[in-house]
Amino acid sequence: MSDTHEVISAFLDDEPFNSSELAEALGEPAGRDLLIDLIALRHLAQTDGKEPLALRAQKPWRSSLRAIAAVAAVLVALVGGYLVGERRSDVAMSAAPPATRVVQVPAAWQDVTSGRMQ
Amino acid sequence: MAVNPEALYAAHQHRLFKYFCRAVGQTETARDLTQDVFLRVSRTTIPVAADGEVRAWLFQIARNLALDHHRKRLRHPEPSVLMDEGARLPSQDVDLAVNEALAALADLDRDVFLMREVAGLGYEEIGRACGLTPDAVRSRIHRARLQLREHLTSPIATRRTMPMRQSGRQP
Repeated sequence: MSDTHEVISAFLDDEPFNSSELAEALGEPAGRDLLIDLIALRHLAQTDGKEPLALRAQKPWRSSLRAIAAVAAVLVALVGGYLVGERRSDVAMSAAPPATRVVQVPAAWQDVTSGRMQ
Repeated sequence: MAVNPEALYAAHQHRLFKYFCRAVGQTETARDLTQDVFLRVSRTTIPVAADGEVRAWLFQIARNLALDHHRKRLRHPEPSVLMDEGARLPSQDVDLAVNEALAALADLDRDVFLMREVAGLGYEEIGRACGLTPDAVRSRIHRARLQLREHLTSPIATRRTMPMRQSGRQP
């Protein structure tokens, strides 16, 4: 049927066709049936492109969210680190740091004249 | 006479979008690919030719993009989710069946069929876009139709009970 009924496709598509071939094809019930099926198929195939299709590949929005969260975390760490560093450097410049070790002067302190060690 | 890319976009974007909707089966991807066609057009010299030839040229670009998309999908398959059956409209079920039947066709057969049925191109234009003679286009379109008819027996039978137009537009 595929070859002999190609004329039905050509007719349906408004392309040049041989009228006697078409008459012969449509003279058979199978040919008439095919013509109607192909018009129905045309209706099924056409889409306005507005309707959401049922089978959709999952958009990788989860991985996008993860990437955004990672970038945000890095930014927060950088800004936070910068601000903490800034605060610490302010303290260092405005006041002396507290002593970490205090040297105690011995109770029996003696002045020794230079050059005469006993 | 220089061809304006904006005018080209306005004239052809809808039929390209519809072609991509069926060729890739995803509205969002179809939108992106339609944009990609005109991105490519903006980077090249638009041929000064008759409307039909320009249309064929645009669809040649579109076809290459759709094939690239299919190749990428084969290399890096995306997980697909099937919507809950109860949440689907009957028309979406039919859309899904049509997309699956189209996906079962050979690439070239699917493209010639879609360029004819969805985008409304003539055999001559389709031949230019796909590198085929008009006779080869006619044979391939018919072959694709017969295969789809086999796959879509039930939706076709349902559609036959409703009013129809030869053009396929809703009556």
